[in-house]
Amino acid sequence: MSKQYKVVHCTVNGKEIEQIVDVRESLTDMLRNDLRLTSVKKGCEVGECGACTVIINGEGFNSCIYLAVWAEGKEIWTLEGLTGPGGELSDIQQAFVDEGAIQCGFCTPGFIMTSWEIVNSGKEYTDDELRKALSGHLCRCTGYENIFRAVKKTMLRHLGKYEEAELVNSQGITEYPEPMPFK
Amino acid sequence: MASQLLMAKSPEEAISAKTAQAAFLAGGTEVNRLGSSVDAETLISLKKCSGLDGIESDAGYVTIGSMCTFQQLIESDKVPAYIREAAHFMASRTKRNMATIGGNIASMRRDSYMIPALIAAGAVLELAGSGGSCRIGIEEYLDKAAEYAGCLILSVTVPEKIKLMSKRYSNTAQSHAVLTMSAAVCGDGIVMAAALKNSGIYRLMDFEKALKADPEMSDDDIISWFRNWDAIRVEADMFGGEDYKRYLMGVTACDFRAGLASGSGKEVES
Repeated sequence: MSKQYKVVHCTVNGKEIEQIVDVRESLTDMLRNDLRLTSVKKGCEVGECGACTVIINGEGFNSCIYLAVWAEGKEIWTLEGLTGPGGELSDIQQAFVDEGAIQCGFCTPGFIMTSWEIVNSGKEYTDDELRKALSGHLCRCTGYENIFRAVKKTMLRHLGKYEEAELVNSQGITEYPEPMPFK
Repeated sequence: MASQLLMAKSPEEAISAKTAQAAFLAGGTEVNRLGSSVDAETLISLKKCSGLDGIESDAGYVTIGSMCTFQQLIESDKVPAYIREAAHFMASRTKRNMATIGGNIASMRRDSYMIPALIAAGAVLELAGSGGSCRIGIEEYLDKAAEYAGCLILSVTVPEKIKLMSKRYSNTAQSHAVLTMSAAVCGDGIVMAAALKNSGIYRLMDFEKALKADPEMSDDDIISWFRNWDAIRVEADMFGGEDYKRYLMGVTACDFRAGLASGSGKEVES
């Protein structure tokens, strides 16, 4: 049976695009091969590693198991869309640099996209919730602590808790100067 | 690998397109993954199907549309806590945004996140096929898989208030589970179900009967019962040996019995 193609209209990183895709093509393939957005990594291709994570209509998805044709009418963001017009890093990207949350870097774009969703949610996640929210991503280098710290600090800064962000120690635990009073 | 894709706009359109060479495509976590076991010439995408993603609560039961994602289940106050817990077994949020309850049932994976809890809860499925629609228990659906292969799952109905416990064992949150097991209080007995990797999905009716016949069974007796249970074939594989898997079922059954007796099952109040 011959291949079937469709035209997909969507917004990628703020730009409207129109793309002809094979109906069985994954969104990862469309973004990488057709649009040259190579921050979207092809890792496991079974939706386990999170390296291909992109934001679709405000929520994180594994683009490797998401069909490109499903993107019709959707608003998609990849890591390339987070940087400023002059290539300036966004705060979450900068936090990954500052906290040394990168080694080989393969998992980093996916982690940052999920982190971006977290820090822009306006919600204050507990440490446990934050770890669970990041659990769809695998990193074989860093041991996760630096990533966790980068996300936690950025989340606190987004919530206006700048001083609290500075109290996050190397293990990602917020160290208050005095014991917290019992409630 | 499929070469054709049909974006069905309604369940009726999806059903009319279903042939032996076609397969339904729900969230895509199973069908779209590398090495998927689904082999079809045409995929019928249900993403644009209307009316399959509602969650309704009525007269002590919750009806969940088959296209509800695991994340929707977790975020809904109407969904019973035991279903939310089973949805949480899928650790990745990005994957939970895609995986659907209907897809998880229909794929019948032996490490299913959801099916043991649904069996223990006595879930009822609403199916639609070329011959019309019907409502059947999930056990019947699994038992007669070939008969219902052409049917589309429209919804899943589960009781709101039931005391139910689930456990999932895997090396990491992301790994395939070696065992997912659930048990619920039903009348004066316990209903138990297990999804055992590389073995199958079972309603543990033999054990339920044994426990009913001897409610005072000791934990050692329960563990030994599972060790000697010959109605199922337990494969030794990279997830563990046969003894290990049988022992795991035994100790989990002990935990469930104790937990349900002490009232630690997930009831609906949330």
